[in-house]
Amino acid sequence: MIDIAGVLAANFLYVILITLGGVLVSGSVHFVPVGGAPAAMAQATGIGTGTVQLAAGAGLTGLVTAGAMLNLTDSMALILAAGMVGAMIMIGVTMIIGNLVYVYGVGVPPASAKVDYDPITKDRQDIYVSQGTEGHGIPTVSFVSGIIGGGLGGIGGALVYYSLMSIANGMASADFVGLAAIFAVGIFFVNAVIPSYNIGGTIEGFHDPKFKKWPKAVVTSLIVTFMCAIVSVITIGGL
Amino acid sequence: MSAGGSGGGAAQAIPQNKLIAFGAAGGLIAIYLSYFMVQFAGPAFSFIGALGAICAIVWGAAAVRRVASYGLGTGVPSIGMLALGMGVVATMFGLAVGGIAGPIVAFVTAMVIGLVIGALANRIIGMGIPIMEQSMTEIAGAGTLAIVGLSTAMTGTFMFDVVLTEVISTGYIALIFIAGGIAILHPFNANLGPDEKQDRTLSTAFEKGAIAMIMAGIVSAVSAGASAAPTIVIGLAIWYVSFSQYNKYVVRDAYDVVGTGLLPKEEEESE
Repeated sequence: MIDIAGVLAANFLYVILITLGGVLVSGSVHFVPVGGAPAAMAQATGIGTGTVQLAAGAGLTGLVTAGAMLNLTDSMALILAAGMVGAMIMIGVTMIIGNLVYVYGVGVPPASAKVDYDPITKDRQDIYVSQGTEGHGIPTVSFVSGIIGGGLGGIGGALVYYSLMSIANGMASADFVGLAAIFAVGIFFVNAVIPSYNIGGTIEGFHDPKFKKWPKAVVTSLIVTFMCAIVSVITIGGL
Repeated sequence: MSAGGSGGGAAQAIPQNKLIAFGAAGGLIAIYLSYFMVQFAGPAFSFIGALGAICAIVWGAAAVRRVASYGLGTGVPSIGMLALGMGVVATMFGLAVGGIAGPIVAFVTAMVIGLVIGALANRIIGMGIPIMEQSMTEIAGAGTLAIVGLSTAMTGTFMFDVVLTEVISTGYIALIFIAGGIAILHPFNANLGPDEKQDRTLSTAFEKGAIAMIMAGIVSAVSAGASAAPTIVIGLAIWYVSFSQYNKYVVRDAYDVVGTGLLPKEEEESE
């Protein structure tokens, strides 16, 4: 049988780091301008898909870039930076292409319905919002917020993966990578869904009133990820 | 905007307790039966594991239907991904530490994680769905049994050393993740609306489970412990039956079904 207490004692730092990574992912989702189904019809500000799909897209790109960097170096800072940049690029590209479609395809100006003036550019918003909609497109403030969210989520995902890959074990390296990757994906998905229930479908970014609800999702994620972290550390450390 | 829900319990012809028994007991029994039959009678019986996965998927889809009818505030897909996210963590743990009791350890671990998420969703996030705790527990358990069942169908065993090299390090676990997740989330997502009926939703779940079973069969072609042909053939048969049944329910529930005929040839109809 596995020496559970011994494995946990030896790897307790990684339990903490995995939990921290999950919490970062959970918090980061609140920054991403998620529009959901209404945004897909250009009736709400944000990217026209759900939280989970966006978090998965950006987060998994972050995992891939972090994994690539892990091949080359053991430096935690570089690996986290690689994960961060990968996720930021992915979410940035998604938002730019989304905006191209909104502006040149649908024919709506990017506008926020939650604030009258863009907090960053100070541009007037309310007069550009079409009647009957809750804004459309991805205005500057949402774009900046999305990039921040992608970065935090990428750091979180990379931190989870890096911590899992740092646990001493007796597996062949191919098996180890597969196991650590699927654990990271599982933990990532759980932490992407929890905030999506917290924000209830759509959010525009850090200027949205719903953003203030983030502590609830973070506390929930903290508890859930801690459980997942213990389970995954025991699994990997015990093999 | 409450995506996919009218804010109230869902009407159901089959009580949820029967579906819990069908999914939990059926799933676990099929997984163990598959394991022992493969051990004593040969790899041709690996398909039973996928039957267990289908039981679990139908149960999971029924639980998703019940909880998502209250309106999650976001898309139904989120709950399927949550189910498989919890499920994959619990499965790896259960199979790695449990040995022969692996599926049960995984199942119990998943339900504990699910219960905690359900309780926190109501207490901290404040979703206010009365059946949230029970549903999350059920969904996590169903996701776990789907993963274990499909892994067993792919390899003929749930012993972790084999699953690790043949399912996880080859990356097929990602296939299980998405195929199992979609099988649990898609039935309600495809059928939701004011005229949603339990039998129609569950027939979709059978059909999606059969597709996952066929995929597991194709993967098992490269595995020594499992044979592909029975899994694929039985999967195709289940798919055909359940899809025909689904089609019947659609025709039954529709106001009218009319043929539009073929598209007109563009030249002669343009005037």
